[in-house]
Amino acid sequence: MSNLSFPRPRQSEVGERLRAEVREFLDDFDFRGDPHTASVFGGFDPEFSEALGARGWIGMGFPQRYGGGGYGLVERYVVLEELLAARAPITAHSVADRQSGQLLLRFGNERQREEILPRIAAGKSYFCIGMSEPDSGSDLASVRTRATKVDGGWLVSGAKIWTTNAHRSHYMILLCRTSPATQERHAGLSQFLVDMKTPGIVCKPIVNIAGVHDFNEVHLQNAFLPDEALIGVEGEGWKQVTSELAFERSGPERFLSHLGLLEEFVHVLKRQPSAEGAKALGRLVAHLATLRRMSRSVATMISDGQDAALHAALVKDLGTCFEQEIPEILRLALQTEPDPNASDAYRAALAHVVLNAPSSTIRGGTKEVLRSIVAKGLGLR
Amino acid sequence: MDDETREMLHQTAASIFAEGPSDLWEVLKSVGFDKALVPESKGGVGVSWAVACELLAIAGKHAAAVPMAEAMIGHWLVDLAGVEEIELPTLGFSSLSEPVRLTRTGDEWHVGGALVRVPWGSACTHIVFISEGPEAQLIVVARDASGVSITPGHNLAGEPRDDIAFEGVVPHAVVPAPFESNSLQAVAAITRSALMAGAIERALTLTVDYANMRVQFGRPIGKFQAVQQNIAVLATQAAAARAATEAGSEAIDDWIAGENESLMHSVAVASAKIRTGEAAGEAAAIAHQVFGAIGFTEEHELQRFTKRLWSWRDEYGNEAFWAEVLGQRVLADESGKTLWRTLTPAGSALELGATR
Ligand SMILES: Cc1cc2nc3c(=O)[nH]c(=O)nc-3n(C[C@H](O)[C@H](O)[C@H](O)COP(=O)(O)OP(=O)(O)OC[C@H]3O[C@@H](n4cnc5c(N)ncnc54)[C@H](O)[C@@H]3O)c2cc1C
Repeated sequence: MSNLSFPRPRQSEVGERLRAEVREFLDDFDFRGDPHTASVFGGFDPEFSEALGARGWIGMGFPQRYGGGGYGLVERYVVLEELLAARAPITAHSVADRQSGQLLLRFGNERQREEILPRIAAGKSYFCIGMSEPDSGSDLASVRTRATKVDGGWLVSGAKIWTTNAHRSHYMILLCRTSPATQERHAGLSQFLVDMKTPGIVCKPIVNIAGVHDFNEVHLQNAFLPDEALIGVEGEGWKQVTSELAFERSGPERFLSHLGLLEEFVHVLKRQPSAEGAKALGRLVAHLATLRRMSRSVATMISDGQDAALHAALVKDLGTCFEQEIPEILRLALQTEPDPNASDAYRAALAHVVLNAPSSTIRGGTKEVLRSIVAKGLGLR
Repeated sequence: MDDETREMLHQTAASIFAEGPSDLWEVLKSVGFDKALVPESKGGVGVSWAVACELLAIAGKHAAAVPMAEAMIGHWLVDLAGVEEIELPTLGFSSLSEPVRLTRTGDEWHVGGALVRVPWGSACTHIVFISEGPEAQLIVVARDASGVSITPGHNLAGEPRDDIAFEGVVPHAVVPAPFESNSLQAVAAITRSALMAGAIERALTLTVDYANMRVQFGRPIGKFQAVQQNIAVLATQAAAARAATEAGSEAIDDWIAGENESLMHSVAVASAKIRTGEAAGEAAAIAHQVFGAIGFTEEHELQRFTKRLWSWRDEYGNEAFWAEVLGQRVLADESGKTLWRTLTPAGSALELGATR
């Protein structure tokens, strides 16, 4: 059986200095004003992204020659958790910062890196992830969108779905087939860097149950991608995608999305003390403290080059179940009706979280699929 | 302590417990595990709380019927009291209805009152406890002193948890307590977290092995997705228990090195007992589910672990007790900071659960 111990998270003096700086920077804003930022990653705000980029807090791990700060993962983690905890509006650049930039850095060609990484780091280049398709959700290896080789490039046809922010991103990292499916299901997949302005790409909005348009359907009809749009090696897309997912799964996004609601809950309890409320708060803080320790530990493992796939899956499952539990525990601890339009910040935040909670255990891999990964890691199969 | 020594201690503990000699406790004492927390200069091993708790997790993994946690804390306290030559000290806490009273006539101290559910109370040679009140004292009483009476009790796993009454007992030693009784409760709670983390890990191992071996419908039950899912959840609980316990034990070391604020105020300590206690209940339920009827038999070894889990989660404060302590502690912060910044002080120790 594999070892389930999580190494002690690494402490970083540089990170702690950054924490203080980020707090000072954030003190100039009040994100509490808008209840809709009380959950998820607090809104899409290019101006804020550029301000962060100017401070050097995006693409922190990129080498300096690509506009990065040359920081380690641990320092990046500190900055990210401070931004999330403050409900800062980081949605515009967060996918680029967390995944796509890392992917280009590891597998991209020199031209892609030189052209795009500095713009990501400046907070000016936004990405979406074109993995899921109508028939390929959990079973991602079954994607059918196809790129056919033509002179000087590729012609892509197919449909992607659930593509968050496709309508306001500059680029998509597309996963598609470059050769027909064979017995080896993971072979023949490749990744492309797709400029969203490419002719033949059509984006159709999908409104979610919270009434918000974040994700989309993206149709690609004979869209021409030049040769240099290929990321990494043709046919190795699966390997690249799985390494990308390790970054996606274990971060503080997986348990801090609803911290804003907890903050509002604390405000209410300070005005209206109750033993039951204190107990609910204490329990949630215990989970939060433990998750944070585990998540920082995974960041330490990844930065040490260790394989953290199993650990990341454990953290994502625990973290997203925790996020989902928050509104359930709070609604019983403090009787009040959620209302998205309430002027009361707690009730509005509660409404927002109740409506968004179902997605946490679906996006980035469902809890069932993550548990299959854990079961496999335990030697069951 | 360097990593090599730490690793060596682990291996020694793991092999002793795995072998399970008939005189297990004697063997453990011969390598000094009962005095693990006593400085080397005074005949102990001088490990940190973090390391001591790792050793306790190994004991928990083996459901060892030995007073290892009690002796570790007991000897640590006895050493703080400046007393020597004690065979097996255990620790006690006052009964709420009859708190321990300490009176003094001339040079002589007398103890009255009662301690409840003292672990291994009937097996120990001495009981160590801290009196309540503004001038708390650290008190050592010999179990066979006159005026001591013991009513035996047990937890679900059959471990002794005895009530002890004192009437005009002359204590073996009395010194001003280095900290309050509730800090001692926090320390004791962490030893239970450590034992639980180990027992949960063992329940997981037993469960995985069984699921790979037990065949129904023509294949091992571990091949069924529903069973895999349950076991994966058990694994997440095992991992969380371990991570929470490690943070909690490190918080004791920080507290000892730091100032005097009660250890009860440590976010990491409360989190450890809450999170591990919760994991214990979930882990035990899943393990029994996977084992089916066979796991429900007395003869099966699973119950040695699950009964301890069900007991330990209620000892020294259950999840609800600690959740309220922690919630009130967070709400008492009047700095006007956000919850996040209260929990994560900038620039100080990185732990979310830093004591201060
Ligand atoms: C808010 C949100 C944002 C998203 N953003 C993006 C994005 O930007 N880009 C992108 O590519 N995708 C995105 N997704 C899609 C997401 O990755 C998929 O929804 C997810 O992988 C699940 O796929 P599905 O929805 O097709 O469900 P399905 O795969 O159809 O699964 C339905 C149910 O069956 C279960 N199930 C399926 N297979 C198994 C199995 N083998 N064992 C056990 N249970 C199984 C699942 O766990 C689930 O409960 C987003 C999703 C959400 C909700």
